[in-house]
Amino acid sequence: MKRYLLLLSLVLATLAGVATVAHAENEQPMTDERVEVIRANCKEATVTLDRLHASDGLLRVNRGQLFESISTKLMTPFNNRLNANQLERGLLPTISEEYVSRLDTFRSDYQEYEKSMTRTLAIDCTRQPVTFYDAVVETRTKRQKVHDSSVLLQDSIRKYRAEVDVFASKFKEVAE
Amino acid sequence: MTEEPNPVTQRFERFKEHKFIILVGSTILVSLFLVGIALSLYASSGAAQLDLSRVGYKEVRDKADRGDTFTGFPATGKIDKESLEQFKKLYDTQAKQALNFDSFGGTPMTDEALSLTVPAPVIE
Repeated sequence: MKRYLLLLSLVLATLAGVATVAHAENEQPMTDERVEVIRANCKEATVTLDRLHASDGLLRVNRGQLFESISTKLMTPFNNRLNANQLERGLLPTISEEYVSRLDTFRSDYQEYEKSMTRTLAIDCTRQPVTFYDAVVETRTKRQKVHDSSVLLQDSIRKYRAEVDVFASKFKEVAE
Repeated sequence: MTEEPNPVTQRFERFKEHKFIILVGSTILVSLFLVGIALSLYASSGAAQLDLSRVGYKEVRDKADRGDTFTGFPATGKIDKESLEQFKKLYDTQAKQALNFDSFGGTPMTDEALSLTVPAPVIE
């Protein structure tokens, strides 16, 4: 029993070591050389991030308006009109609710990303290169979340359109 | 025999003498409190992230869509072949704009894009 436990713990320790090495190999380690590279290039990086911050702000406003209008000026009035005509709406209300929920997630994800970016831009990167780099990594992750949210919104837009076709074909059958 | 002055009355008299200053001071305090609430709501509601009048958004301010040209689908009326076609056309126009763009995609924040990596040694 003891021998078995010892063998098991050796196997687990080896697996953990392999996982750690594999993880480390995916990122450049934070050596002194790397810190100096960050310190040397961070001003330029800050300019790039500042431009990205502005363009993302514009993108958020324009895309946000588009996503909002799809919900408030298309999905909702169409659902309401079907309801007023006492027609079977199928999955349309469910998909619309899912879309609204995903839109809320998109808004909150963007808010977190923008706050993170603002904090990153406020760091004096020449004095705190490691802190700056960590903030860039965090902001990058949050930006990816915003991207994922917008992909989910696009998915809901496609699903709603497909469901409209389903409704239209059923409506046509009933009308005939 | 003289009466001892009532401390409450004394305080009230002092208040009466300085009521204008107290009025101005309390107005300022209430204003600061309400401004604090407004700023807190501005930050927490997400309005701050949409405010292109902020510093840093100057170059992109003019490029924002006004967003008032699209009227949408009417919520009242009958449902027939024509109204369905009208809805599909409106929806497809908006959906095309939403689907043809990879929002917040790409790799603008990678270490390579920001030049935050140690360059690989050149092998001669």
